[in-house]
Amino acid sequence: MKRKILSALLCVAMTATMLAGCGGEAKDSTDDKQETTDDTAGDDAATDDAAGDDAAGDDAADDSAGGDQKLTVWCWDPAFNIFSMEEAGKVYQADHPEFSVEVVETPWDDIQTKLTTAATSGDLSTMPDIILMQDNAFQKNVISYPEAFVDLTDSGVDFSQFSEAKTAYSVVEGKNYGVPFDNGAVIAAYRTDVLEQAGMKVDDFTDITWDEYLEKGKTVLEKTGKPLLSCQAGESDVIMMMLQSCGASLFDDDGNPALVGNDALKKVMETYAALKEAGVLVEVNDWDQYISTMTTETVAGTINGCWIMASIKTAEDQSGKWAITNMPKFKDLENATNFSNNGGSSWAITANCQNVDLAKDFLASTFAGSVELYENIISCGALATYLPAGDSDVYAQGDEFFGGDAVSAKIVEFAGKTPSNNTGVYYYEARDAVATAMQNIVGGASVDDELQLAQETIESQMQ
Amino acid sequence: MTKTKRLNVFMYIFLTIVSLISVFPLYWMLISATNKSVDVSRGAMLPGTALIDNWKALISQSSVGLAMVNSFKYAIILTACALVICSLAGYGFEIYHDKGKDAVMSVLLLGMMVPFVATMIPLFRMFSAAKLLNTTIAVIFPTISTPFLIMMFRQSARSFPHDIIEAARIDGLNEIQIFFRMFIPTMRSTYAAAMTITFMNAWNNYLWPKVILQDDVSITMPMLVANLTEGYVTDYGVLMLAVLLCSLPTVIIFFLLQKSFAEGITGAVK
Repeated sequence: MKRKILSALLCVAMTATMLAGCGGEAKDSTDDKQETTDDTAGDDAATDDAAGDDAAGDDAADDSAGGDQKLTVWCWDPAFNIFSMEEAGKVYQADHPEFSVEVVETPWDDIQTKLTTAATSGDLSTMPDIILMQDNAFQKNVISYPEAFVDLTDSGVDFSQFSEAKTAYSVVEGKNYGVPFDNGAVIAAYRTDVLEQAGMKVDDFTDITWDEYLEKGKTVLEKTGKPLLSCQAGESDVIMMMLQSCGASLFDDDGNPALVGNDALKKVMETYAALKEAGVLVEVNDWDQYISTMTTETVAGTINGCWIMASIKTAEDQSGKWAITNMPKFKDLENATNFSNNGGSSWAITANCQNVDLAKDFLASTFAGSVELYENIISCGALATYLPAGDSDVYAQGDEFFGGDAVSAKIVEFAGKTPSNNTGVYYYEARDAVATAMQNIVGGASVDDELQLAQETIESQMQ
Repeated sequence: MTKTKRLNVFMYIFLTIVSLISVFPLYWMLISATNKSVDVSRGAMLPGTALIDNWKALISQSSVGLAMVNSFKYAIILTACALVICSLAGYGFEIYHDKGKDAVMSVLLLGMMVPFVATMIPLFRMFSAAKLLNTTIAVIFPTISTPFLIMMFRQSARSFPHDIIEAARIDGLNEIQIFFRMFIPTMRSTYAAAMTITFMNAWNNYLWPKVILQDDVSITMPMLVANLTEGYVTDYGVLMLAVLLCSLPTVIIFFLLQKSFAEGITGAVK
């Protein structure tokens, strides 16, 4: 008897949980007997969720409210991108009290997965109004899924107010698809106290060439035992920063891989190998170890996108011991500069946006038109690529951590001088191939052979 | 000292080293959850004092409570449904087996070789056409019946004595009653093992919920952890605290069902 009751109870419990699952939170009590109507119950749940306060704005049920003054945005990092987007919402709200912005925290990899899934399946209704997109992936996504994005060329956004290199990431066939946001201008950061031990100053590292960097690096290593630079083994960040500083890319203007016969790339790889050989550059296994080379003070500096400053600053006890300047350049190459870019992202409006005019006006009058916004968000370390913001008084203020230097203004200036990079559809694949080639070259292989192999790898992936 | 004793000493030394290696990541997780981010990256090995700060930071930047409730909701519903459906299927495949069913079983097993990412886009289209995006049912449906679980129950049904079924039939139980009254109680350890595995998989499931769920209200624990690593600066202390919270339920369930789990995996019948 006991067993009978127990199994009956179990069955009831299972049915109840099943129904609760199908029927949405508030509905299960009324749905007790409708075991066979799973599908309709599911529909109920969909409408329930859509009507909920925090539901994604673009569920089918929301479409009827087309004149809605609300925009849904996908982006990542609460301390940085999300904070900035919410601040932009407040700035826009000042003139448009009806307006509101809803940010759904979504890591970049997930935005990519969701975008791919939605665009490939032809159902864009799951996309929000605005997404934040990594610059490296921008061209790939727009070329692969042109129907998923809104052309912003004549949207009222003044693209001339951004650095050309930055805007170039989101231009496909002469049309603008993105409003530049996050700054990825490359900085070289050095530990001034370590340089001092070696009898040098940060000025000795400003406007230098890679040959000088190597020589000075050897001196620093000899006198302090610390290498100048650390990076992740098997990643191509440093190589790509060096390459872009020469105004060169992995692809030609037609989107074909251009590794073989690329003088700049060859020079970059030789330099990297020489730095590694001399011990001026050390490779570590992963990102966390890379960060810890700085926090545990085992290196005398780093070269990376300016966003690396936020990680450097977590070691509060190192305040005042860091300084920032531009990266070294290649002396024999024609277009070489001391400036480059790593990372960064831009805002894109999706084709699912029901109120494109509102979205365009919002972006044009905030991220592409409000110095005030950039002044508000500098507290979280978000640096503008919007050039007028660089002239603002807030950007001219010194940062104690970096010895009182006005680093923000400096970085906006660097961003303005950065040459463009041609990314194309297969940029990530090409980066991987180059990183593999680099590892083999460090292991003793010949540069020409490895570049040939890498070029073939990319070509076979493109077929 | 006899030969066996000496051998034992070596074995214990070896086992101690291996267990230290296995336990270290867990220890590291616990320690890191109590330290400041910069101390974690400097390799702190002892408990720190930042646990409360990490907790405050975690709850201020993410909705841990909501994610926990959601994760439990999906995992419990999925586990309950999967156990009933897969055990019924496994039982059926074994007890009423014939050539046709064996062939179907082989097809099912072949299905194990298809990676989920390959079926993800067609699945998404199906759920989108059925207007089921962003619902609990969409989260649990694709994994409600898995070839692995069916196979596991089929294997264990193989060791279920046919005499019991015959005896039960003679005593007047119908087939469904035999399943619920004879099979389920006898196979408790298999159910425990299956439950542990299914719960763990459901709890850790990341890709599909991420694709099918569209808003912040539906966030689950693995999504929350992923969100924490996404910024330009990762707060390792907060991250480790979230990882700790995320792994607690599966650890607890595993410890509770440890004995039956081992029995269930080896297919013991009591």
